Amino acid sequence: MKSNIVEKEGRVRPDGYSKVTGNLKYLTDLTFPNMLYGKVLRSPYPHAKIISINTDKAIKLPGVEAVLTYNDVPGMNRFGIIVADQPVLCEDKVRYIGDAVACVAAHSIQAAENALKLIEVIYEELPIIDSPEQALKPQAFKLHVGGNICHQAMFSEGNIQQAFEQCEAIVEETYEVPRQLHAYMETEGGVVVPENDGAITVYAGTQHGYRDRFQLSRILGLPEKMIRIVSSPMGGSFGGKDELNIQPYAALLALATKRPVKIHNSRTESFKTSIKRHPMKITVKTGTNRTGKILAHQVKIIADKGAYTTLGPAVLDFSIEHAAGPYIIPNIETEGVSVFTNNGVSGEFRGFGGNQITFALESQLDRLAELLQIDPIEIRKINLRKATDKGPLGQRIAPTDGAAQVLNGIQKLYEKTNKQYSNSQWKRYGTGIAIAMHGGGLGFGRLDSAGGRLSLNKEGQIEISFGFEECGQGLLSVIENLVVEEIGCSKEDVKIVIGDTAVVPSSGSITASRGTSVVWQSLQKLKDPFKQKILHHAGKMLHLPEQSLYLGPGGVWCFEKQAGPCLTYKECVEQLIDNTVETSFHFPVTPDAISGGHFLYSFGGVKVDVEVDLLTGKVKVLSIDHVVSAGPVISPHGYRGQIEGGGIMSLGYTLLEEAKMKDAQYVAQNFDSYLIPNIAEVPFETNVYAIEELYEGDSYGPRGVGEIGTIAITPAIVKAVHDAIGCWVSKLPISSEEILEHIESRGMLEWI
Amino acid sequence: MDMKNRVIDNPFTLNEGQTIALKLTINDEQYELQVNPTIKLINLLRDHLNLIGPKVSCGIGRCGACSVFVDGVLVNACLLMAYQVNGKHITTIEGLVGVTIDEVQQAFLKEGGFQCGYCTSGMIMTVKSLLSTNPDPTEADIKEALAGNLCRCTGYGGIIRAIQSLAKSKVAVQE
Ligand code: FES
Ligand code: FES
Repeated sequence: MKSNIVEKEGRVRPDGYSKVTGNLKYLTDLTFPNMLYGKVLRSPYPHAKIISINTDKAIKLPGVEAVLTYNDVPGMNRFGIIVADQPVLCEDKVRYIGDAVACVAAHSIQAAENALKLIEVIYEELPIIDSPEQALKPQAFKLHVGGNICHQAMFSEGNIQQAFEQCEAIVEETYEVPRQLHAYMETEGGVVVPENDGAITVYAGTQHGYRDRFQLSRILGLPEKMIRIVSSPMGGSFGGKDELNIQPYAALLALATKRPVKIHNSRTESFKTSIKRHPMKITVKTGTNRTGKILAHQVKIIADKGAYTTLGPAVLDFSIEHAAGPYIIPNIETEGVSVFTNNGVSGEFRGFGGNQITFALESQLDRLAELLQIDPIEIRKINLRKATDKGPLGQRIAPTDGAAQVLNGIQKLYEKTNKQYSNSQWKRYGTGIAIAMHGGGLGFGRLDSAGGRLSLNKEGQIEISFGFEECGQGLLSVIENLVVEEIGCSKEDVKIVIGDTAVVPSSGSITASRGTSVVWQSLQKLKDPFKQKILHHAGKMLHLPEQSLYLGPGGVWCFEKQAGPCLTYKECVEQLIDNTVETSFHFPVTPDAISGGHFLYSFGGVKVDVEVDLLTGKVKVLSIDHVVSAGPVISPHGYRGQIEGGGIMSLGYTLLEEAKMKDAQYVAQNFDSYLIPNIAEVPFETNVYAIEELYEGDSYGPRGVGEIGTIAITPAIVKAVHDAIGCWVSKLPISSEEILEHIESRGMLEWI
Repeated sequence: MDMKNRVIDNPFTLNEGQTIALKLTINDEQYELQVNPTIKLINLLRDHLNLIGPKVSCGIGRCGACSVFVDGVLVNACLLMAYQVNGKHITTIEGLVGVTIDEVQQAFLKEGGFQCGYCTSGMIMTVKSLLSTNPDPTEADIKEALAGNLCRCTGYGGIIRAIQSLAKSKVAVQE
């Protein structure tokens, strides 16, 4: 089985040409006349009282136009997607080293930086809490008024105590996963431009323009209609730019100085202030009968929330939901707690809690398979969900064969290519497989509005608009390809409008693998009314019955006359008054009132081969094969890129990456000490096999693939390492020391 | 050729009075500039000459987003001071396009060698540099040449395929 997705001849991304020529202006590339540069003063301490802030010297520095503190925030001095608990500018307390205390606008970056040094803040250092365990102790001091528990969630079914008593094999383990940096190559930044009437335009990347507008409106005390958010394109986001970052500071400074203000984080600034993937400790006890059928599964999750909430509760809920993955487990008990600490803020990150929990779940299956002496594929088959089974929270979901499809696909690969490498004196080779199930959309009980707009604009273009952003994922291709397919026009006829609250409809956030779904579903609702509208009008203009006409490349065509359009879109629009159709709907959701429960799921399976170097303890991934079930492929390059790129991001998570904190300070702050995979560390060939068939009668179309390629990689690599040297790793990233210790203890080196 | 004369003050420094004279050629245009001695090449290009193709992602020579040619040699523009390129020829991604786009750019388009595009100008310069000295690189050559260019989106698959498509077509032409 090789990659089965190939781009149609010559088809390139709409943003392709501008990207390969370097001409694309990212929002951090923008400059405006009279523009100032902004900088933000962040706390040097992870936990301290602010005794006083004196900005007198800073404001007197030549070139400095404004120095702002909490006193200058006109509206609510807080932000946060779920709970607004993060101060824009801290008043009396700082809770982590990224907390903002003041901000400056000046004529040069250097002047702004110098001004930061002249701001006199007197702090009184407080003791820190740098682990969730410490925060949960009864005597621990409270980081927030409500205590140190940010969120708790649980799910249970059956009776695990009784079930464990009947188990023949039980495995219990604690899995530890690190804090991961998104490492989008474009750090956060942009420009806020004051407009004539007291309004502002915010040019800064985000994953939901309308939500930024809402949050900024609260902070600035400015009506939403006076805030325009231009939020696309971005140099990567992966969840990391979902929450506000520099926008409030640039906006406050632009309003204070009445001049455009640009803030573009340096990598170090980005490192200290950006959200990260939640570090978690996951303790799992799983028991099966003699044949490998799981009877009981008990999961306890502790997540390090860092100082503030952002989307943390939803991430934990997602982990809880996916604790059983694509398996049917009759007795299950899952509980999780997300705990405030003085560490860096954890938040939304591609995979959204699915990566962590799937590593634990799939590893448990592999360990049980070893204990029971069954094949890793076999144990998964025994427990696998069927197409019409309920979802992992007992909720009804769109029927799907995805789990079986990807497992069968992986099985074929496994049987064909297992053991293609032979061990040598210093090297051992191993193969691992894993599968994953991943919910798309925000889940039951969450406002998940979707929608789009289609019109024939005055230039005679078929204009399609969504309130979405192009972060790099390939949204523009998806939109273009779908419009061409559904309307019948050519790609030259299509104009795509996204990422600007002044002109786009509300589509919800470009997160949760929902973009492709929303675009496809919107078009299903828009295409017929749109075609009818245009054809009705064209029929009148041409004095022909509507039924004899259709929309084609360049204009309206007659079935009779095939030489070219009888009416170009430009001609057609001239007397057309009512040229627009719009739709808004709720993202498909389970009918069962189970909070957070998803309805649409995608599935991914992975097979990897690794080499373990017995002398250095280094693990090298030699091949990755993905099998994905997420409905039809709309944009082959984009699909493949998302799966391959997601896979490598998780290869980094498994082998290299950890945003370590020591005493609540980041140890690494740039790519010299925080290593993400480079080209030398990745397998040269990756195969992506897409299973496009949806379950019979499925009317929800293609699912997004932004996340599914990231999930199953980790457990597959960990299993491959075990296959190579017999070592079960439970803590990421896999450490060479641990591998070497294992090699030594087993006497695997001949000369020792 | 245009002769461009400009005095450049540096938004990255306070010492506005001090400047030094620079004469250099960028993408076949000659420039005579007065620049602050503390300005980096990348800031000169991006912030003053509006050549925004090269990007800054790490600022410390680890990611390659700022890659340009100085006298045909691939360098990280974030690690060079502007005065160090006095008298030299600089080529940025903007200078690769002639009548049509370069074959490396074409290959990236065709093979999907990018997603967000932020690493792309640096990648393309690096691939260009590799292929100009080694038209048919092996896996090891490619890995060595590109190890200093980070991409967070693609996992490098599309980039590798773009290079291989060029290497292969070169072999085909030679045969
Ligand atoms: S910005 Fe120059 S190497 Fe990263
Ligand atoms: S395409 Fe986004 S970093 Fe390479």
